[in-house]
Amino acid sequence: MKRVIFLVLLVVLSAALIAQVTLPRNETVYVIGALWGPATTWNLYAPQSTYGTDQFLYIPLFMYNIGKDAWLPLIGESYEFVDDKTIRIKIRDEAKWNDGVPITAHDVVYTLELTKKLGIGPSTGWWDYIEYVKAIDDKTVEFKANEENLNYFMFLSYSLGAEPMPKHVYSKLEEEGVNIKDWRNDDPEKQVVSGPYKLFHSDPNMVAYVRIDNWWGKDIFGLPRPKYIANVIYKDNPSANLAFERGDADWAGTFIPSVWELWTKKKQPIGTWFDESPYYMPDGVVLLYINYTKHPLNDRNIRKAIAYAIPYKDMLKKAYFGYSPQGHPSMVIDLFEPYKQWIDFDLARKTWGTEDGKVPTDLEMANKILDEAGFKRGKDGIRVAPDGTRLGPYTISVPYGWTDWMMMCEMIAKNLREIGIDVKTEFPDYSVWWDRLIKGNFDFVISWSAGPGFDHPFNVYRFVMDSRLTGPVGEAFPAGDWERYHNDEVIELLNTAVSSLDPEQRKKAYYRIQEIVYRDLPGIVLFYGAHWYEYNEKVWTNWPNAKNPWWYPAAPWHLNALPVTFGIHRVGEVKEVPKWLETVEEGGSLIPTSKIMADLQSTLK
Amino acid sequence: MGRTSRPLLRYLLRKILFLIVTYVIATTIVFILPRAIPGNPLAQILSRLSQLSISNPEAISAVNRTLMKEFGLGKPWYVQYIDFVSKALRGDLGTSITFYPRKVIDLIVPVIPWTLVLLLPATITAWILGNTLGAIAAYRRNTWVDKGILTSSLIVSQIPYYWLGMILIFFFGVKLEILPAQGAYSQGTIPSWDLNFFIDALKHYILPFSSIVISAMGGWAIGTRLLVIYELGSDYALFSEYLGMSDKKVFRYVFRNSLLPQVTGLALSLGSALGGALITEIVFNYPGTGYLLFRALTSLDYPLIQGIFVILIASIYIANFLVDFMYALIDPRIRLGQED
Repeated sequence: MKRVIFLVLLVVLSAALIAQVTLPRNETVYVIGALWGPATTWNLYAPQSTYGTDQFLYIPLFMYNIGKDAWLPLIGESYEFVDDKTIRIKIRDEAKWNDGVPITAHDVVYTLELTKKLGIGPSTGWWDYIEYVKAIDDKTVEFKANEENLNYFMFLSYSLGAEPMPKHVYSKLEEEGVNIKDWRNDDPEKQVVSGPYKLFHSDPNMVAYVRIDNWWGKDIFGLPRPKYIANVIYKDNPSANLAFERGDADWAGTFIPSVWELWTKKKQPIGTWFDESPYYMPDGVVLLYINYTKHPLNDRNIRKAIAYAIPYKDMLKKAYFGYSPQGHPSMVIDLFEPYKQWIDFDLARKTWGTEDGKVPTDLEMANKILDEAGFKRGKDGIRVAPDGTRLGPYTISVPYGWTDWMMMCEMIAKNLREIGIDVKTEFPDYSVWWDRLIKGNFDFVISWSAGPGFDHPFNVYRFVMDSRLTGPVGEAFPAGDWERYHNDEVIELLNTAVSSLDPEQRKKAYYRIQEIVYRDLPGIVLFYGAHWYEYNEKVWTNWPNAKNPWWYPAAPWHLNALPVTFGIHRVGEVKEVPKWLETVEEGGSLIPTSKIMADLQSTLK
Repeated sequence: MGRTSRPLLRYLLRKILFLIVTYVIATTIVFILPRAIPGNPLAQILSRLSQLSISNPEAISAVNRTLMKEFGLGKPWYVQYIDFVSKALRGDLGTSITFYPRKVIDLIVPVIPWTLVLLLPATITAWILGNTLGAIAAYRRNTWVDKGILTSSLIVSQIPYYWLGMILIFFFGVKLEILPAQGAYSQGTIPSWDLNFFIDALKHYILPFSSIVISAMGGWAIGTRLLVIYELGSDYALFSEYLGMSDKKVFRYVFRNSLLPQVTGLALSLGSALGGALITEIVFNYPGTGYLLFRALTSLDYPLIQGIFVILIASIYIANFLVDFMYALIDPRIRLGQED
């Protein structure tokens, strides 16, 4: 027995001679809020690749910067419009996969063809909007827009935003008969990537990426500053936030209640985009969706009354910590300067009778509308439609655990009961809620739509009102128009907006859509979902923020967040933000969307 | 030998047959239950695509169609069931939906050691400590020792173990900051076979281990105390006492005899250990099977839920069977009783 113990001890001690592997803290950026479960795959042809694959391993030809409304040439070097429906993109001569094979136009073509073949992958759905993609020579690729379904936004986003995959790797897999969707690409030694990072280590607790020090873009962009990017997998927001608060994580994309207390009360070196309310930038437009297939909820008067009954300001302050102002009812985000030209402010003021054109909370008004429309109150205080249908019982629901949204539901339901609509809250499990949402089996839900982008507000209008995205109740349609609104005029206007290069014509279409929005209220705009982004400056500093907005989107979970890693630096070191992160006018590389649109328009002359 | 082994064999065969039948029923229930929830297993994947606002929403519908086909979710339930059974018989537990394309078995295997390392020692420690305390209380019954042990055991055994876990985290992890609050080892560490890692893991081990030991101990102590007291009142114990045997000697016999039911209990607890202490693992962010099951349930990942239960139920049954087998060997009444 003693001998056994001795042997065991010997084994343990000899193992101890091998050094323990821990990532050096001052060379690692720890991320929270982007990865919540075990790693799946590092292959973008799988339905859900591990966080980081799309952010750090594979990069597009051009990357879009929302903050400056401009495009950063990454693998792509320049573009040229052959005519108003054809673009040629030149790929950088330096661009190489990390195994030394050059990145070519053939990679781009192959990537899109493979996506079409598999029905899933990078640039999914390109075939609806792009007629063809072909290689002109090794370093030039040409995209032609689909004239039958002409959409300039999709044309630009699929061509400029194309993300090449290594043809020499995937075609070999195809030859070997490997099921591409099942391929995990999990061997760090064999990963062939275009971005400046590749996989370092992955286990059920952590996924870490390591910088490729001889990355092809080194001489053009320099190298990202952190050697490692690590994601510890936490079970939920509170435990991840605790690590962040302690400085065990640097780059966060989570919801933190009363975030300002971290620096005002707890004196932590923590920051968000704005150092005062609303603290976060706006992301998607969040709406109250009311089912259009349920009578009498499809009555315009009821919808209007509901819009007046929502306690916008109160609810955003109490449930949302003031992280967003009330959204603009036009569905256009009114906080980005370039988007304001699309809002018909006069119409909004006239319709809603307020100075800023936003819907006021006015229960009297709501009651008046319902009274005048003939919805009489029953004995229990609940109204009855002129045809005898009682208004309720209805439910308003969000997924269980979304505490901020749950509280908003309670507050909305309370006000709706006050104006005589019988609404109760219901908080099912996420997967149940989602199933009802996409099948149209709901009365009221709070849910997201699209957000900022160079095609805003088209993307939101399409998401909320385009009946081509949906179908009969009971069948699953995850893409949008969950409330099942249908209006042919809207489809017509949306087509005009995307197939015209004339900003005036687009504006006219958007203005007309706003009249329809205010009349039919397919969804009621509540607020802008926050772009969750926080940083801790214990180890790393110079994070982008409102005072120093050198790159936005800044949240780690965003697909376009890679440039952030090039501009931050260790505390104590002084390094500048690279020049190429500025726009062409300022001497950098970013090409404004307006310039691209003007180039496109000039082909018509 | 011949006379005794035949009934034993028959007894065991009957047990095995019974186990197989219940196993089939149990796995069928595991197949049906998650599907009875009106949720959507693709929710996580699709809504993530939707929220990342992929520029073309039609792409989401395309992905939806591709995935429905890939996972056979559109097929009628009996086809899916036959699929599941025939694959499971060949040892293939299928592919996870949420963690596609990872095989269910590849997700389960790496977490099993963590769960066993946590639960086996904790369960055994709780059993030994609990039984010892219970025996001491019975031996010194009606003294302050007994009262002290009984009352504290009653209280401790009624505290939900996850709540105890949270209290431990709050005091030792958050307030005093002397022990790590979560995880199985420090963040940024890559598990390896060396002393530093071992010590680091040990530090993370203390709180979850203690929370399980403390809360399970009370129940064992109460049970043993009662059993021993009952046994002390039996004829043979009284008779030995009248014969003038020393208290200690009598107690030793009594203690051994009263342990028998507790051994069964231990075997069953060990059998269910693979399921992990679900909530303990969640509270401590500990990478075990319970934690994995929690993730599978919240995302309604049918194949993963099935896979975990198929393994879990099998391990409980095997433990159960071993106990029956041991009993039959030890106690002739059991195997002979089956003859009637």
